[in-house]
Amino acid sequence: MTEIAHAGIGKAASSYAVWTVADRAGGLLEQHAWLSAGYIVVAMAAILGMIAVLGVVLIYLERKVSAHFQCRLGPMRVGPHGIFQTVADTLKLFLKEDTVPVGADSLLHLLAPFLSVAAVALILCVLPYSPNLQIADVNIGVLFVGAVSGLGVMGILVGGWSSNSKWSLIGAMRGAAQIVSYEVSATLALLVVVLLSGTLSLSGIVQSQEAGWWIWRAPGVGLLAFVMFIISSSAEINRTPFDIAEGESELAAGFHTEYSGLRFAFFFLAEFINMFIVSALAATLFLGGWMPFHIGGLEGFNGVMDLVPPGAWFFAKTAAMIFLFMWFRWTFPRLRIDQLMRLEWKVLLPVGLVNLVVTAAMVLLGLYFFPVG
Amino acid sequence: MTGEKPKRSVRILGGREVPVIVMPRLPGKGPHVARSAISLLKGMRLTGSYFRPSKVVTRQYPENRKTLKLPERFRARLKLIDDAGGHHKCTGCKLCQKACPNDSIRVLTRKGPVTQKNELDRYIWRQDSCIVCNACVQACPFGALEMTGDFESAVYDRRLLIHTLNRYAGPPASVLDQAAEAEREKMMEPRDAYGGPTPMNGQAMPEVPPLLAAPPGDGEGAPSAGKPDNKEGADS
Repeated sequence: MTEIAHAGIGKAASSYAVWTVADRAGGLLEQHAWLSAGYIVVAMAAILGMIAVLGVVLIYLERKVSAHFQCRLGPMRVGPHGIFQTVADTLKLFLKEDTVPVGADSLLHLLAPFLSVAAVALILCVLPYSPNLQIADVNIGVLFVGAVSGLGVMGILVGGWSSNSKWSLIGAMRGAAQIVSYEVSATLALLVVVLLSGTLSLSGIVQSQEAGWWIWRAPGVGLLAFVMFIISSSAEINRTPFDIAEGESELAAGFHTEYSGLRFAFFFLAEFINMFIVSALAATLFLGGWMPFHIGGLEGFNGVMDLVPPGAWFFAKTAAMIFLFMWFRWTFPRLRIDQLMRLEWKVLLPVGLVNLVVTAAMVLLGLYFFPVG
Repeated sequence: MTGEKPKRSVRILGGREVPVIVMPRLPGKGPHVARSAISLLKGMRLTGSYFRPSKVVTRQYPENRKTLKLPERFRARLKLIDDAGGHHKCTGCKLCQKACPNDSIRVLTRKGPVTQKNELDRYIWRQDSCIVCNACVQACPFGALEMTGDFESAVYDRRLLIHTLNRYAGPPASVLDQAAEAEREKMMEPRDAYGGPTPMNGQAMPEVPPLLAAPPGDGEGAPSAGKPDNKEGADS
């Protein structure tokens, strides 16, 4: 069984060596414990910085992209083309009064936004940005991502419950029901890639795509899994067409109705970073992550593609996915709650299960393109 | 399939008869999923076609002030149309005043010193209460009025929003064109924009200094124009 898994996948046959921050820190632990600790501190600071910068950049992008889909310009006043608009908005949120509703569970009310952000930060730690830029390559990466994103649901539920408002609670329940439902088919789509690559490690999955990205390397099933992942993950991150939990044109705000100031900012931040994470996961699992685009046999073309650094490949693919999600938002009409649940339990789940079984048969028979070794 | 209408029907849901409306299938061939997916892609193509800089309709107003072009039918400011010789076409018939829904127009007339006929003395337009509805322009049988796009009308003193639109008191261009050159001078009497009898509808503002010194010779030909106490707007 393991032989078969190895034979077709070639997870060892990668020309890229992965060297994570955790590896570096671990290697230094014996002789220079302080230096090792320094690496960890730098990594933590980098994650915090990344959350802040990504939040500001993504919110700016969302506003600009939304504007241009509606023939508008978006923010134009603060800085050239409004690039400092989100910075100004963030400063405003910092200065706002931190209101807690009467009768709210003050501890949980404070904790909920941080739960959401913590889940986001933990996933950012395991994403492979480039062969040399990854905090830790967890050998159960996909499982870890699935488990930790469950923590984000906790943030939503706790936030809705602790607000002591029935509307927040209803919003939280709706959100949680939706996210938990769609996590099932998102995970089924991820499992397809795990089957194909024979590893749960995110870096390992990227390395397994050297001969071709999984979206087309596995005939049919890869594309189907990719589409399923896009659908279910846009439901997971509460984006249109699945944003009934907080549909801004219909409801107040869902679970974060009673939040204001910095706490609201953290929920908002977590939501946008979640979009980045989902896009990064789609890029990593289906579009080759930091792996350059190669066509077998065309050495010159491949050489040109190799000139682009792997990190740039990763961020370009992720940006393309983010743009796709924003494009969805301005095209598709919102689903009703019963349509939403029907789509998940009656369509996506059976299709995902069948897809998984077909993939398993394909891996056993070696029926996929560009087999290595 | 195409042209099929939604049908009323009854279905048993949860043990109860529930009236429902059965929608027809999406037009086109093939399975429902494929047609829906194609429909979604069509939508994405449409929205995608808007995503380019040339489609932007927003204009950056204060920056583009010099190149700003407003649509022809944009309405902001009422104007008495001048012909080539700088003469208005208003006969003083007051139809615009009657058409005005909120009394923003007051047409003051006088007896012409030469023609001895009724003619325009002051065309007073209250921009502060005007709702720019265009009713006056449509009511005018002589085409003497138009709405222009000059929208930058912010002022620091409300009295500046009460304009006298005509530049001279006198008969319209049609009469002036037929008159002799020497007669024409006598027919026309200059009028300034703010010297009318109704600053703030006749209300004097004690703290506020007068906008203009009383125009010389204003009260000469028009008994109603010169003195603030004797005006048409005061009775309302």
